[in-house]
Amino acid sequence: MSTMEEQHSMELRPLSPRCDVAAKANDQHVSQELEEKRRQLRRQISKNRRLFSRGLSVSRLDSIESTASVDSTEQISFVEDKKVRKKRSMSRSVSASSADSFSSASYSSSEDEDDVSPREKSQSNSKGFSDFCIRNIKHADFGRREIEIAEQEMPALTDLRRRAQADKPLSGAKIVGCTHISAQSAVLIETLTALGAKVRWCACNIYSTQNEVAAALAEAGYSVFAWKGEEEEDFWWCIEKCITSDGWHPNMILDDGGDLTHSIIKKYPTIFRGMKGIVEESVTGVHRLYQLAKTAKLSIPAMNVNDSVTKQKFDNLYSCRESILDGLKRTTDIMFGGKQVVVCGYGEVGKGVCSALRGLGSVVYVTEIDPICALQACMDGIRVVRLNEVVRSGDVFITCTGNKNVISRESLDRMKSGAIVCNMGHSNTEIDVASLKTNDLTWEKVRSQVDHIIWPDGKRVVLLAEGRLLNLSCSTVPSFVLSITHCTQALALIELFNAPEGRYKQDVYLLPKKMDEYVASLHLATFDAHLTELSDDQAKYLGLNKSGPFKPNYYRY
Amino acid sequence: MSNYKVADIGLAKAGRKAIEIAENEMPGLMSLRKTQGKTKPLAGSRISGCLHMTVQTAVLIETLVDLGAEVRWCSSDIFSTQDEAAAAIAATGISVFAWKGETEEEYEWCIKQTLIFPDKQPLNMILDDGADLTKLVHKQYPELLNGIKGISEQTTTGVQVLNAMVRDGILAFPAIDINDSVTKSKFDNLYGCRESIVDGIRRATHIMLAGSVAMVAGFGDVGKGCAQALRGSGCRVLVTEIDPIVAMQAAMEGYEVLTAHHAAVKANLVITTTACTSVIDGSILELLPDNAVVCNMGQFDTEIDVSWLKATALKKTTIRPQVDSYLLPNGKHILVLADGHLVNLGCAKGHPSFVMSTSFTNQVLAQIELWTNNQDCKNYKKGKLYTLPKYLDEEVARLHLDHLGVELTKLTPKQSKYLGIPVNGPFKSDRYRY
Repeated sequence: MSTMEEQHSMELRPLSPRCDVAAKANDQHVSQELEEKRRQLRRQISKNRRLFSRGLSVSRLDSIESTASVDSTEQISFVEDKKVRKKRSMSRSVSASSADSFSSASYSSSEDEDDVSPREKSQSNSKGFSDFCIRNIKHADFGRREIEIAEQEMPALTDLRRRAQADKPLSGAKIVGCTHISAQSAVLIETLTALGAKVRWCACNIYSTQNEVAAALAEAGYSVFAWKGEEEEDFWWCIEKCITSDGWHPNMILDDGGDLTHSIIKKYPTIFRGMKGIVEESVTGVHRLYQLAKTAKLSIPAMNVNDSVTKQKFDNLYSCRESILDGLKRTTDIMFGGKQVVVCGYGEVGKGVCSALRGLGSVVYVTEIDPICALQACMDGIRVVRLNEVVRSGDVFITCTGNKNVISRESLDRMKSGAIVCNMGHSNTEIDVASLKTNDLTWEKVRSQVDHIIWPDGKRVVLLAEGRLLNLSCSTVPSFVLSITHCTQALALIELFNAPEGRYKQDVYLLPKKMDEYVASLHLATFDAHLTELSDDQAKYLGLNKSGPFKPNYYRY
Repeated sequence: MSNYKVADIGLAKAGRKAIEIAENEMPGLMSLRKTQGKTKPLAGSRISGCLHMTVQTAVLIETLVDLGAEVRWCSSDIFSTQDEAAAAIAATGISVFAWKGETEEEYEWCIKQTLIFPDKQPLNMILDDGADLTKLVHKQYPELLNGIKGISEQTTTGVQVLNAMVRDGILAFPAIDINDSVTKSKFDNLYGCRESIVDGIRRATHIMLAGSVAMVAGFGDVGKGCAQALRGSGCRVLVTEIDPIVAMQAAMEGYEVLTAHHAAVKANLVITTTACTSVIDGSILELLPDNAVVCNMGQFDTEIDVSWLKATALKKTTIRPQVDSYLLPNGKHILVLADGHLVNLGCAKGHPSFVMSTSFTNQVLAQIELWTNNQDCKNYKKGKLYTLPKYLDEEVARLHLDHLGVELTKLTPKQSKYLGIPVNGPFKSDRYRY
């Protein structure tokens, strides 16, 4: 580690952060000042990050910063910034789903403007439109390129635009959206307006916004309120800005996580009652909606997109199958072959994770509470064990349960030195990270999203993304899978908005199967897959309509 | 009515040995015998069963009897009977009517023999596989319908038939669809076929799977299992599908999805798994390469148009039982296995016992539910189709975990509260797809 530090410092000393300031590098005084400012900014960012991760007291924060390793780690992230900037100038060949966008809080652009919160800046786009709040409108071009690349991998949405553009099925719709703001969701947003809707958008996560994409949207005239590294207060402010505005009467909600819905119900119950419907994407949000429905507090219909086939069986399964390897490689560069990997949970995410790792020669074990899923794991040739049986021998531990405290401090105490621990579940409580923030353990940042936790006897455990969702923090989700999800959301919105009075009541609904099938059919062209058509005779024999739906609602795929 | 009709009662001893081995692999059924054998929940029931008369079914039959039922049995396919299993069951005094290689007329005759029990008592429960018995009773013995308390149905095709009957309002009693228990369709249909498709092809032919091109029509549970097994043996697998969601699943797994006419020119192995009719018709059969092997994994023999072959072929040669070669006018040969009937049962021994145990445990539980838990049709109404509740599904899975050395994790009370799930399940909502 120390030689690396030396190397880094050798490389870094003559250079300064920004290309345009490099010219002034000769001026020692200026570059020193700048260096100090950057250090302060980075501390501020780390502080912000840690404040928002649960269970960490401010005092602990100070002791982290006081360790000697801080300087070297700052230097490491510094080098990363440089690399990041170089990549961006060749950006055409780097897709929207590159590491840069999602990798870490040390992502360059946000740092440079960090001194001023976007709420205190007034920006306007090239046409003078200023009803938005983002990090920096000047990055709109980069964002636009990323959106264009994403469009190439999202044929269904572009197809949908083409097909429905004439009818404008969403004209009259005024949608308030609260989702991750990424190149892929930008394609969704622009599709919705192409279909006739008016929208106001904010982010459902304080770290997930791709700033340049938000800029591109603002440039295109969208009222978007989001930036990477929001504070908690900013988060709710952004939501407010989307709900209320002069002359804006929203009538539909597109939510991810339920925070937007929650806000509107609490603060604007009249607006809520006047809406046509909610489309909810995530497990958590859906859970909250079902609870509302149970207590008769849900006064408008809601569509549960999370449990549609195309979401569950494609997003959860295949995207995790691809992103687990990506996430692990980018953070740790480990060799998968021969590793003992323990996967907690064999639901859709667990299945994808196991399948990917076995494909590269890992020896995989599964822990499960559900006997049916356990049996499935057995049939796939995976041993089902209890965590305490494999905790000492496992090399990599991955949680995918939706549960909390699956990996406790006790388990972490027993793991071998060098074990890697990460989480593929939505919430960051699957690994009991809070229990690691005690005085006897030292945290050492290896690189962004990778921490060494060091026990008094020198044993180290590698924790990724501080126990947060690995694929969003450390890698990316393939655009294609997001195409499926976003297409489902678009169709759910169309369905709810155009449904005749009384078809949907004050309850939570699943997407009708025909829509599910329609989403799938929009994606088949990518694979050059040719669907067979039933003959009239066959359709009669099976009792099916030739254009579907082809399966009963209980079919599990 | 005669007591039984099997191929050769002398095979009973061999059959008994096979049954004993199977019992080792069927922990679900054996466990039910242990826990419920004394209370005899099925006492008083007269079950007519129409399900492939195999060694595994023999274990099911003996479990039903152990739980107090009287049974009469026939097979649900003309080629699927394992004669030594039939003999072993007949030797215990159970009335079974099944042999390998029945004619269609004999098949129907066998079904009819199961309907009336000693002392002229008619059946009062049905255990069906493909709904042939149910259909026959509705059509030809409507006077018996009133006395029947319910039916439990084993397979996708049978459920299709029952659904149609429910829709038309003609199903006379409650039905439980055990096919759509998770522990049935996601295990039997998928893993069972995954193991038995290659078995069937290998025992019937000598083709090398590695390097062959296989066309799998349909990518449902059966299609998924077949495709995976064939790919694992080195086949290049092409899939045909009508359902876009399932077609996308096939694409995500790296299979090419084509229409049958495009796939047929390349495929030297064709397997149907659709539960549909005329999937491989004359126009497709003509496109196949010389000596292509064609077989079916669906319940009924309607998927491959064998009658077209019989009418059009210049010559038919029987190479060995259940393996026929047809010479077409275009000069090419087609090898048809089991005459288009289920190839895994027609040409091999069907599914492995373990996975049949999960299916059959569902069957027994369904019979118990309909017989003991349905006073005045309160829980399961006449003319409607139900699936078993999730806690029973999970119980079936639980009964099979020890055999595989599984250690299940238990939720702590805190986790149980956090998730809103009872510590002992059910663990998933009905929407969950596994």
